[in-house]
Amino acid sequence: MRSPLPLPTAVAVVAALLTLSACGSGSRDGAAAEDTLRIAGPFEVHSLEPAADGEVFTRLQVSETLVTSDIEGELAPGLATEWSSSADGTEWSFELVEDATFHDGSALTPDAVVEAVERAAAVEASPLAEVPIEQIEADGSSVTFRLSRPDLTLPAVLTHYSTAVLAPAAYDADGHVTEVIGTGPYEVTELELPASISTTASPEWRGEQPAVAKVSFQAVGRPESRALMAVSDQADVVFGLEPAGREQVEGADGVRMESSLQPRTILMKVNADHPILGDERVRRALSLALDRESMADAVLREEELAATQLLPPSLTAWHPDLEPLTQDQDTARDLLREAGWSEGSGGVLERDGKPLALTLITYPDRPELPALATAIQAALAQVGVRLEVEVTNSSEIPAGQADGTLELALIAKHFALVSDPLVDIAAVFAPEGNDWGVMNWHDDRVTRAIDALLAGGSESAAAKNRETIVRTAHEELPLIPVAWYRMNAAVSDRVEGFVMDPLETTWRLTDLQWAS
Amino acid sequence: MTPRGAAYAGVLARRAAQGVGVAGLVSVLCFLIVHRLPGDAAYRIAAGRYGYDLVDEEAAASVRAELGLDRPAWQQLGDWVLDLVQLDLGRSLVTSRPVAEEVGYYLVGTLQLAAVALVLAFVLGAGMGVAAARRPGGLVDRLATGWVASVRAVPPFLLGLMLVVVFSAQLGLLPAVGHGDAASLVLPALTLGPGLSGLVARITRDAVVEVRASEYVQFAHTKGLAERWVVLRHVVRNAAVVLVPYLGVQAVILIEGVVVVESLFAWQGLGHALVHAVFWRDVPVLQATALVLALLIVVVNTAVDVLVLWLDPRPRRLEATR
Amino acid sequence: MTTPLLEATATIPTGRRRPLARRAALLGLSLLAAFAIVGPLLLADPSAQDLSRFLEAPSASEPLGRDDYGRSVLARLAHATRLSLALSALCVATALLLGTVAGILSAWFGGWIDAVLRAVSEAFVAVPALLVVLLVSALASGGSLWALYLGLALAQWVEYFRVVRARSGLVLGSPAVEAAGLLELGPAHVVRRHLWPDLRPLLGTLAALGMVTSILAMSTLGFVKVGLQPPRAELGLMITESFPFYDVAPWMSLAPIAVLFLLTVCFLALRDSKERS
Repeated sequence: MRSPLPLPTAVAVVAALLTLSACGSGSRDGAAAEDTLRIAGPFEVHSLEPAADGEVFTRLQVSETLVTSDIEGELAPGLATEWSSSADGTEWSFELVEDATFHDGSALTPDAVVEAVERAAAVEASPLAEVPIEQIEADGSSVTFRLSRPDLTLPAVLTHYSTAVLAPAAYDADGHVTEVIGTGPYEVTELELPASISTTASPEWRGEQPAVAKVSFQAVGRPESRALMAVSDQADVVFGLEPAGREQVEGADGVRMESSLQPRTILMKVNADHPILGDERVRRALSLALDRESMADAVLREEELAATQLLPPSLTAWHPDLEPLTQDQDTARDLLREAGWSEGSGGVLERDGKPLALTLITYPDRPELPALATAIQAALAQVGVRLEVEVTNSSEIPAGQADGTLELALIAKHFALVSDPLVDIAAVFAPEGNDWGVMNWHDDRVTRAIDALLAGGSESAAAKNRETIVRTAHEELPLIPVAWYRMNAAVSDRVEGFVMDPLETTWRLTDLQWAS
Repeated sequence: MTPRGAAYAGVLARRAAQGVGVAGLVSVLCFLIVHRLPGDAAYRIAAGRYGYDLVDEEAAASVRAELGLDRPAWQQLGDWVLDLVQLDLGRSLVTSRPVAEEVGYYLVGTLQLAAVALVLAFVLGAGMGVAAARRPGGLVDRLATGWVASVRAVPPFLLGLMLVVVFSAQLGLLPAVGHGDAASLVLPALTLGPGLSGLVARITRDAVVEVRASEYVQFAHTKGLAERWVVLRHVVRNAAVVLVPYLGVQAVILIEGVVVVESLFAWQGLGHALVHAVFWRDVPVLQATALVLALLIVVVNTAVDVLVLWLDPRPRRLEATR
Repeated sequence: MTTPLLEATATIPTGRRRPLARRAALLGLSLLAAFAIVGPLLLADPSAQDLSRFLEAPSASEPLGRDDYGRSVLARLAHATRLSLALSALCVATALLLGTVAGILSAWFGGWIDAVLRAVSEAFVAVPALLVVLLVSALASGGSLWALYLGLALAQWVEYFRVVRARSGLVLGSPAVEAAGLLELGPAHVVRRHLWPDLRPLLGTLAALGMVTSILAMSTLGFVKVGLQPPRAELGLMITESFPFYDVAPWMSLAPIAVLFLLTVCFLALRDSKERS
């Protein structure tokens, strides 16, 4: 029996379907590719609230903060052109920029600023909630903050994205943000939470129109997918590549890697009150067991990122001349023996019949953390320490701190969430401990030095105080530094003028040009 | 009521009862399990909201107070059920957006992908099955058997990775990830479709072989109708009676299976929502997503029952398998 | 998850025996099982890193090369194969036992026992298997394997229950069993002489398919990084981890892909031959 097969028909239908869909979008891509800057990054946008996922909108230059930071990390004018404090530091006044307009056409008024900043101050997670604000007042063309205690860090705190100023019309009756109406050079045209945002140059922008008129942002969760987008010209700027992806980009044409050292350190947070880890010798032994250079080379593909002390050299003021942290497994074993640990079964040290076993928790948000954790696990096994690695939600770290069950945590701590590292350093070394800093550890010298720095004073005294803090931490190791962190992005050759801002306050899209 | 009408009503009543039962079970189960999950929910939710750099004890405490997480569990569950009865799914604990809006968005993504993949699987599988059935044991049949075994042996994520490498990385024809435009739908659909086509092909083949061998097709032959007409009229219609239930099952597998493909291709669907909701302890979103998934399965099964009844209205025992 | 029930009952036996395929499948499976049992005993520690030798190409001492942490791919593969085989077997055994016992009970006693068990199974069918696995694995912290085991077993038992219940109903209603009842031969006799011979081939087919389902499900969960913690070696996880290196270190991806494919194909071939014989 012979008859025309349905098979060819089926194949034809499928082929037609595919071609159709491919063509349909092919033309769309072509149109988009010409004048749209396509950005891909790992972080999804789940909320429009500035305190939640606001960073993406300041980075895309949709919303602005009163103060911002320049490429060196110094404070720079944002919506405020200048600021000053009273002699006792309890009253700060910020002069607003003239003729700034929200994307809905309404003018930026001091009242709108007060409203936005007060909302940020009411969110516990915002650094502004830590500032002892008594009152915020609109005052002619400026905004005045009255504090109950002097606080020199206020302008730096106001660089944080949670303090971005949105138009009053951006909020609904319950105070939820329904639309991101900012003052920046770009305005939102299309928004599809959680994965995509499109913006275009705003006609309301008070400055010069940017060369790149359209921008699209897409959140892509898997790092290998992002690397593919970079090498196959499916995105112009791709953030957050893993080492393997970076190698792919370096081997590809038409795309290059840009990077800058970030004020971020990957470190082991230690419970200094733990029966095992309370002993400083054990902490030093753990530190000496790590071959940081090999770890940095294998996991981060860059030997220079091996941390020799707590803060990276890019934070010059906080990077004194110290004896670098190195690997010395013999000394590590000696220290552990001194601390009472002796040979046990299965290569794990023992004391009073109990094995030297610890749990390290870390989180997968940054792909290098679980990778480094397995490297640390292997390194510690060599000196007889059994380490359980638990990759979990990042929030287990503050939770473990609160109930005291945390032993070790591998975290990537950003030391300039606001532009001045002092704000974060003060928090990290707070005597009562900090969720992303020390745990059950304090040192009077460090506390005094931080208080002195917060109170201001001469530069030479400040330098001395900074060194005291870093040196003490270096010797007692309440936080064991592992590696520094390099921010990187793959950038297409279609784009010129890309600058990596180490603080990532904005992606500086207005500086970009199309390659001719 | 006609017997046929009674049969339809019976199916609908039985499925409706199942739907209500499952909805209750799933939402209560989700709630209870999430409450027993290790870790402090307030911290999880705060991390989901503000990003991990900014979560501390105060932020968690304010989240706990705002959402009333320290109330007894039965009170929280009771509130949710009361709201549900009024068709209010509440707001997401993490994003503060209405749950119905969020889950609806993900549902559309899932349905889009599932529909395209199902069509692809059906066209590919049925075509191959009918072709293979023309000569059982022939070359086409053996090739089809090989295909069925291969697609069954390869997990979708592996197929997806291979497709990405070939079509996106090497040839640069299609976007590797994305959501929204037609081109970004091609690779996810191609990843899911072939996996399902194997089973469709196999069932179609067997059904067609059987139906063809049966008397009335032989009878149609002797009547002298063109053979193509025989295939279309009798074989396809009768094979469909067997095929439709399987297609229903395929749709169910598909709805669940998309999570992998969603992750690989950054496609926004229910699987994505489910994984995030568990991770962040976003109970309302989790309950709603699970509810939607379960109801979707019930709806698909109902549609299958009704369709089978329509295709083949002979009386039968209903409770055999599904 | 897939549905072994439908696949198992879908095919009309063609009557063609394929002893060759069966033998090849058995040989392949025994080789893999030997690798999984002996490999971990002889080979290096699968989590021992040598960071200075990352992505080393295959050589005489390391036939499958080293991964991005300088770990032996062969050793990891042996452990991953063992994990896949052992855990799948455990899941299938649990689901089979649970489903069979529940199915026989249901068919034997009928009445309210049958009604309750059927309601439970109906509910399980509509509860997405994905949800069960996700929730159960979130319930167990610290990457312990019992969550994965429980999730996979719970997601599968309904298939066995339904097949066994339907089949047992037929067998128990048969004249032979009625005669046995009249002769007062007791339930043990009925199970041993009537039910078990009838169910065995069916359960064999279902179990082979269940192995495929479990192995694939596990690798898929490894891919979405649910239920497993580093440095555990798992096939899906190994495939995912090696994907970014597919062009610089293809040996890393090919090895776990080959093992995964071989495992599933062998079980499928075993199923086919069982079903057709």
